[in-house]
Amino acid sequence: MRKILAILLCKLGSFLGGLMGKGSSLPGKLALMLCPDILGQVEVPEHIIAVTGSNGKTSTVELIAAILRGAGKTVVFNEMGANQLEGIATLVLTQGDFQGRVTADVLLLECDERSTAKIFHYFPPKQLVVTNLFRDQLTRNGHPEWIYDAILPAIPPEAELILNADDPLSSCFARDHEKVTWFGLDRSGASSNSPTGVYHDGACCPICKGPMEYDYVHYNHIGAYRCKRCGHHKPKTDYSGTALDLETGELVIDHWVSILLSFCSIYHVYNVLAAYAVSQKNGVRPEQAAETVNRYALQSGRTQSFTLGKHHGTLLTSKHENSISYDTNLRYIAGTKRDCVVLIIVDSVSRKYFTCETSWLWDIDFAQLKAPHIKGIVLSGRYANDLAERFSFTDLENWSVQPSIFAAVQALEDSGEEELYVVTCFSDRDKLLDHVEKEM
Amino acid sequence: MKVHFIHFYPNLMNLYGSYGNVLILKRYLEGLDCQVTVETVEPGQRPDLAQADFLFMGAGTEGSQRAAMEAFAPMGPEIKAAAQDGKVMFFAGTAMELLGAEIREADGSSYRGIGLGEFVTEHGRVRMVGDVYGYTALYPEAVVGFMNKCGRVRGVETPLLTQVALGFGNDGLNCPEGFHWNNIFASQLTGPLLGKNPRLLETVAGAILARRGKKLPARRPAIPWEAAAYAVTEAQLRERLEQVPTRKAS
Repeated sequence: MRKILAILLCKLGSFLGGLMGKGSSLPGKLALMLCPDILGQVEVPEHIIAVTGSNGKTSTVELIAAILRGAGKTVVFNEMGANQLEGIATLVLTQGDFQGRVTADVLLLECDERSTAKIFHYFPPKQLVVTNLFRDQLTRNGHPEWIYDAILPAIPPEAELILNADDPLSSCFARDHEKVTWFGLDRSGASSNSPTGVYHDGACCPICKGPMEYDYVHYNHIGAYRCKRCGHHKPKTDYSGTALDLETGELVIDHWVSILLSFCSIYHVYNVLAAYAVSQKNGVRPEQAAETVNRYALQSGRTQSFTLGKHHGTLLTSKHENSISYDTNLRYIAGTKRDCVVLIIVDSVSRKYFTCETSWLWDIDFAQLKAPHIKGIVLSGRYANDLAERFSFTDLENWSVQPSIFAAVQALEDSGEEELYVVTCFSDRDKLLDHVEKEM
Repeated sequence: MKVHFIHFYPNLMNLYGSYGNVLILKRYLEGLDCQVTVETVEPGQRPDLAQADFLFMGAGTEGSQRAAMEAFAPMGPEIKAAAQDGKVMFFAGTAMELLGAEIREADGSSYRGIGLGEFVTEHGRVRMVGDVYGYTALYPEAVVGFMNKCGRVRGVETPLLTQVALGFGNDGLNCPEGFHWNNIFASQLTGPLLGKNPRLLETVAGAILARRGKKLPARRPAIPWEAAAYAVTEAQLRERLEQVPTRKAS
């Protein structure tokens, strides 16, 4: 009885939440409070694919779902993005019938790294993708090795791991594990010979802490590594990006499968490679996988176009406390060609909790903004001074500080007509969007 | 005046923006007409400590910290002698634990620190995380920072923050934090603590100058961003602190 009540409550909550545009974890949370063992009483497809890691989870899951659906499979996945146990509960209870039966070929779960143990307890994955492990929300997550230690005991021994060969840390999950499939990117037009970024987490081997060397690097610590002490190295890949041109967006997999990227970024290449590897492990024809990827526009796009005065603007949502998320967007802006101004806002560090913690600003490679077409940078929000302090240690000169977001936006509205890029987080984006004219 | 820094293991011990401390202190001293050189030391290298005015090691993961200790241990006696002699040092995050007697890991294994202090650190499976607001005996203004660690430090007799009003200290909530003895400054508060706390920056810079027989001049280098950022954070955390008892009461 409790079970049916909990399912009803979850379905109703989810319906009402959908009407109000609210997040998707609360209904599941309520159902779990009413019936704590509800997830032990549901019936889900045997074929569970889980995706975890620091960056790229949402895009990878979306791509996997699209490819598998394109191949005629029915897929249930947490497309609303809530990826902790409560969000998964919402998904399963709303997608299932009133008995808690979910009918589909595949249950595909995007999983928060720290929630893997709880989620896999109920839904052990047959295939588990780990995209990468990076510094991300260190205030919650401690550090990448701490997250590694949290995921490791959660992995079912019989699961097939689908791992990023180019990440020295998450590749360690393959140690003592039987079934492993590797994806990675060969040396390509996007490779450099030395590490990028302001910190170098690839300098020391995650296993023995000895010095590591790289044949090539794609970004930060992602590339072809080898530990000089213990020999930990990039393994031979099963599915490889064999050619890449980021200018044209052309990616070739295994020398013959041609992909046109919807978003020309090195970070997205790895999402595609991960999704492709999953598709091959699930019997999708390579051409068909490629065709779906080529046609697919990401739903979770975190950009928004708008107009402000004479500026055409683009909001590039970055996650505060995640330097890679910032670096991705800064790299994108640096790669554009037209004259532009950049507005960076740090006002509330998180939308979920209070903190004044800003040390993550020191992990972001702001110096990437040194480019002739970037005419000015405005630092705004409550922590504009922290941003300014960080900027004062780069060789950037054309930046100014305006702690009031309203004043910063007004000043931009009143002058200039360059492209405008705004870099900020979910927690702060509406403080901008409320003052501009959004484009659909 | 020439000032020489030694920065131990910058790649291995590089979490939470620790390296910012070195940049901030360097620039402050340059503002006082010092020519500052920074020597980075990798595991296996033995620098000449006698040449240095300032020693620094930043925060690292528990795994990196243990590797750092292996490399650092042979220098222990020399570091202790330098500390006794008044050499200025700053050890941030997990590097502070290496100054103590012992580090016990969550898996039950343990290893020795250099034994400059008598304190012992015990790592757990849960992290202590949150903003910190406290006081030091060095100056009247509050110290602000952020804690993110898994180790309880017990047995520190001379903490850097003698009082912690908000957040975690050495042995848990509202405990004194860090370690301060002679000219050794050590704190597990993350990020560039010297940038977050202009008075602490002045204090450390002053200690370096004093060792060379000089005083901080009345006219100090301008640090407008640090000062403004401190004011915002201090006000935010003070407000937070004032709310805490009310919430408890309700």
